[in-house]
Amino acid sequence: MANIFPRWSNLLPIKILICVLVLGGGVASGVWYYLNPAYTRVGYEPIQPVPFSHKLHAGDLGMDCRYCHSFVETAAYANIPTTQVCMNCHSQILPDSAKLAPVRESWKTGKPIQWVQIHKTPDYVYFNHAVHVNRGVSCVSCHGKVNEMEVVYHHETHSMAWCLECHRNPQDFVRPVSEVTNLNWTPPAGKTQREIGRELVEKWHLNPPDKNCAGCHR
Amino acid sequence: MSKRIFNHPEESHTGKRYWRSLGQLQDTPEFRSWLQREFPQGASELGGGEVSRRGFLSLMGASVALAGMSLSACRRPLKNLLPFTKGVEWSVPGKALFFASAMPSRNGAIPLLVTTYDGRPTKIEGNPLHKANQGTTDVWAQSSVLDLYDPERSKSVLCKGTPSDLKAFESDLSKWLAEAGDGASLAFLVDGCVSPTRERLRKAIIEKFPKARWAVYEPNGNALELQAASVAFGQNVVLRPRLERAQIILSIDRDFLGVEGDISLVRGFSSGRRASSPSQKMNRLYVAENRYTLTGGMSDHRLRVPATLAGSLLKAIALEVGRLSGDAGLVEAAKRLPAQDENFKAKWVEECALDLWSNKGSSVVLVGQKQPVAVQALGLALNAVLDSVGSVIEVHSADQEPALSISALADDLKAGKISSLFILGGNPAFNAPGNLSWADIQAGVSNVVHLSAEVNETSVKASWHIPEAHFLEQWSDAVAIDGSYLIVQPVILPIYGGLSSNELLAKVAGKDSDALTLVKETFGEKLPADSNTLELWVQAVRDGICTHSAPKGLQVSLSFDSVAKVCAASRPLRLDSTGFELVFLADSKVDDGRYANNGWLQELPDPVTKLTWDNAALISPASAERLSVVTGDVVAVTVDGRTVELPVLVLPGHAENSISVAVGYGRSAVGSVGLRVGFDVYPVTSDLESRFRKVSSVVKVGRKWPLAVTQEHGALEGRGADITRQATMSEWKDNSSNENFFKKMGIDAHAPQNFSLYTHPPLNDVHAWGMSVDLNSCTGCSACMIACQAENNIPVVGKEQVINGREMHWIRTDRYFASEGGDSAEPEMVSQPMMCQQCENAPCETVCPVNATVHSEDGLNVMAYNRCIGTRYCANNCPFKVRRFNFFDYNQRSIKELYKWNLISKKGTPDSIQLQKNPNVTVRMRGVMEKCTFCVQRVQEAKITAKALAKDSEMIPRVPVDSFTSACAQVCPTGAITFGDLNQQESQISKLRTHQRGYRLLEYLNTENRVWYLARIRNPNFRMPDAQRAGSASREIATHGNSNPHTAGNESKGGH
Repeated sequence: MANIFPRWSNLLPIKILICVLVLGGGVASGVWYYLNPAYTRVGYEPIQPVPFSHKLHAGDLGMDCRYCHSFVETAAYANIPTTQVCMNCHSQILPDSAKLAPVRESWKTGKPIQWVQIHKTPDYVYFNHAVHVNRGVSCVSCHGKVNEMEVVYHHETHSMAWCLECHRNPQDFVRPVSEVTNLNWTPPAGKTQREIGRELVEKWHLNPPDKNCAGCHR
Repeated sequence: MSKRIFNHPEESHTGKRYWRSLGQLQDTPEFRSWLQREFPQGASELGGGEVSRRGFLSLMGASVALAGMSLSACRRPLKNLLPFTKGVEWSVPGKALFFASAMPSRNGAIPLLVTTYDGRPTKIEGNPLHKANQGTTDVWAQSSVLDLYDPERSKSVLCKGTPSDLKAFESDLSKWLAEAGDGASLAFLVDGCVSPTRERLRKAIIEKFPKARWAVYEPNGNALELQAASVAFGQNVVLRPRLERAQIILSIDRDFLGVEGDISLVRGFSSGRRASSPSQKMNRLYVAENRYTLTGGMSDHRLRVPATLAGSLLKAIALEVGRLSGDAGLVEAAKRLPAQDENFKAKWVEECALDLWSNKGSSVVLVGQKQPVAVQALGLALNAVLDSVGSVIEVHSADQEPALSISALADDLKAGKISSLFILGGNPAFNAPGNLSWADIQAGVSNVVHLSAEVNETSVKASWHIPEAHFLEQWSDAVAIDGSYLIVQPVILPIYGGLSSNELLAKVAGKDSDALTLVKETFGEKLPADSNTLELWVQAVRDGICTHSAPKGLQVSLSFDSVAKVCAASRPLRLDSTGFELVFLADSKVDDGRYANNGWLQELPDPVTKLTWDNAALISPASAERLSVVTGDVVAVTVDGRTVELPVLVLPGHAENSISVAVGYGRSAVGSVGLRVGFDVYPVTSDLESRFRKVSSVVKVGRKWPLAVTQEHGALEGRGADITRQATMSEWKDNSSNENFFKKMGIDAHAPQNFSLYTHPPLNDVHAWGMSVDLNSCTGCSACMIACQAENNIPVVGKEQVINGREMHWIRTDRYFASEGGDSAEPEMVSQPMMCQQCENAPCETVCPVNATVHSEDGLNVMAYNRCIGTRYCANNCPFKVRRFNFFDYNQRSIKELYKWNLISKKGTPDSIQLQKNPNVTVRMRGVMEKCTFCVQRVQEAKITAKALAKDSEMIPRVPVDSFTSACAQVCPTGAITFGDLNQQESQISKLRTHQRGYRLLEYLNTENRVWYLARIRNPNFRMPDAQRAGSASREIATHGNSNPHTAGNESKGGH
């Protein structure tokens, strides 16, 4: 009786296995890359209704973050400024600029400017700005160098692993509270971030929730 | 070493047994199956009737196919952030603002502090500055925030059922008023909530239309009591008992801790009940009632008496007190009261009367508001002899002028004198006494204007229906439970439009002013002449209290002659030995039916019967046997020739020859939640003399009605024998030096020493949260359950799901009956709030395969919903049965559409309901386990605030002692629940955890609970005939424990 399976079929299982591995690996790495916050979030740069330049305001003009995001030290949310805040200056400065037309329109009609949300935590995550900025976590740690961004984009992944990186090793990120809104701050000469961080963690008794789920999930 | 046998120590069956239901007492197969299952039979399978397995699979295939089609649109959705254009004063996005207001109620308004987030009220607390309630509230105040957002509230003016507008109404109104002349054709029917501004408008209207009729109607109000007081004292007064001044309290059919009371009575009573050491004095409560109430549950001596015989009992006590005091007036008055049984329970009466008399000046008798005027008047006469009128019972001049009763108004309407009837609030077409046939009377009036928040039975028959603004949407004022003046401040603009009753009355009175101006005027009138009105107004609105407005007690003298006259004139019902009486109760949830559309209240188990989504005819086990009915059988009850059909619920401790039923159910015109829930018994009520009637026949219909009773749910695997503990005052005194007296009762008395297989988690935070529940104060009112529901976004699941044991309450109030030898006729009752015990060695944590429930370093057993995959192992392993599983997406589906296929069912919560949700708590989805978190959102908020305040200082950030509390502790009217930091010596909880009465549940399981219970102390009078029975629960258990020297437990073997 002739062989049922030809000779070439001896290698078939291995070939199939290799194919499956390659395909499976491809799918896995595709999912890994394309469904990861590093891909889905980082770089998100929507067009805003007003071409507001953080680079100009916070960078070149040196305005403090807290002039506009005024409740960041007291509330969970770093509020988006009211139209009134824009008009504080822009009723005097560039009162007729075409770029500012939506702001003037909003001021006239009382309808809010429709800013597009960039940073969004899921509904089951309760992030609190106040406790971070009051305890030496700089704006730059989570939002990047906004003072150099013409249009703000998502700079960090904001994934849970990324949060825990700091919650487990706060010494690598904290800085003096007075320097929190100074996005260009670097550790003073002769000291590393880690050395300063260790000092501050000890001095302030920093103890961010690293295993307590309820720290962020309630 | 011998092998350790992991058998739990056997439950001791000597002495008193605690049981949740007759099923448990008799150990029926149904109860057994509850014990062994986490959820009832079939609860985890798809409901048989709805979807078959085959159908389910085909549907699933289709949904997968459709899901594939929609994958193409994978883009991040665009979301906008909208800031204000102008900054709003005080408003910080995401931070709560608190406003003082008040909730008007028939018992007196409750001072409130309303929590609002970004302009929407989400939670109601009591106003801590106000003396009357000191920051506590009740079930109804807690749930009122849901009424505010009810999507089925009335939204537009209706003219004969068709949408219209206010302008059209106003033109009609001005026509009627122009023709009204002296007002003989006008009548007003208002509810019993007292508002000084309304009183002022009433005066203005009567001035303008002198002959206009003004009637007040409250189906469950205190009209009979007020009538008795005006007979006895000869003037228009209100009675406000201050129970903190009372040592001996006798309640004759008065549920003053439940539906016939208010927060000030509950607080007053419990303040005399706080025993921190056995040397302290505790008040004593005697209760005579026909069915078990919360008051009966707290009593030291309880007598089962049909409501009809309460008068006879009072007469016997009055005669005995009259004999002791030698007061001829009282004896004369009492003798005149016709009584059915003159030698009623002689020994009980004798000793009770002696106790009352020997504590003269600090003893008080409270008579039920259902009782006839004569009985209530005799009660007042008795109080006068006991010197409690003016001392324990404060007498204040009435908050409103006398008004007509609904019966008098009905006569006028029938006579055809009235062409325009204004019904403000209330729902007489549903809840007027049945013998009046109000609906027919109303139909005969040409213009009926009905102001109400919902389109109800009265509105559909009225010519004009006007939507009423919720009390959180209007400026108004009210008289508080202690008689002081309160301002009702709006916290949101009317969501669906709507007028307040004062605005409508102002239109009738021809005043142009808005509600705020009207209230300001009333406020100004109440002030002393030379005061700074604006400054005081601002302060009163901000603080919610008006310091100048506390009423002064009147010195009144009681006329025994008038009492004797009214007694002689009374014709009480007579109850024969085989007949029944039917007693109409105010419902503990929907009251007179007004809260029927509130899902939180419908699903709240009644504190005593544990019945949800229904009312039922309550009868005693012996009577049930006599009628050969069991719980769930429908009976037809005929009263005065009218018949209602009701399901039976057999209730231990109920009086024989008596049937009790709650009113307010069986609504026929209301939103979808309350529509046709339960049975309407108003048709058999009547306006004659008292709120109970003689039954002419009770017949078993032969039908069954499913009742959603939660009393057997969450039975602790048969371990519940000794989880509530109590002793009498004298037993406590005898054992005052024994630290372990309460700690080593029952199984714990002879359980071997604990050791743990697991390593104890390192709980090294600066805080350690703990809770204590004082069973001596807890009445079981269940306000904590609604407070928890409001705070923690807990869904309503509906009657069917409750029957399946899937109710979601994070805290439940277990009600135990206790009796020696399994007597179900006269057991004692104990309520015990039960929530997650936050075990340090939590059994749930070790079985979670995905670490969704873990321990935090401050000692909380935390749930990460986003991690939970719904295996439900944790609920199975929880010894306290406090974990709740989302079998359905209760927040996305209405309770009527739970079983509908995903693609065709309507999804999403109504917008208005979403506004109520607490923004600090995740709204859970289907397939997720949840449970009490000790209000972790409040814990975290407090910790975050402390840390943010600490900034870069070198101190350890620490939450100030007792600076916040959990929702259940905050609401508790008796202060039974305490929450706080165990690591701070000065905190309340630190003191309570080491209290001698403190014990932890199921200590022998070594779970190291963070909740301590304080044992109940009863204070019986040992000369009473029932003293041996009353208040001695756990005695056998305790002696058993203490006589066993091996309690210290150095054994290596478990099990006996």
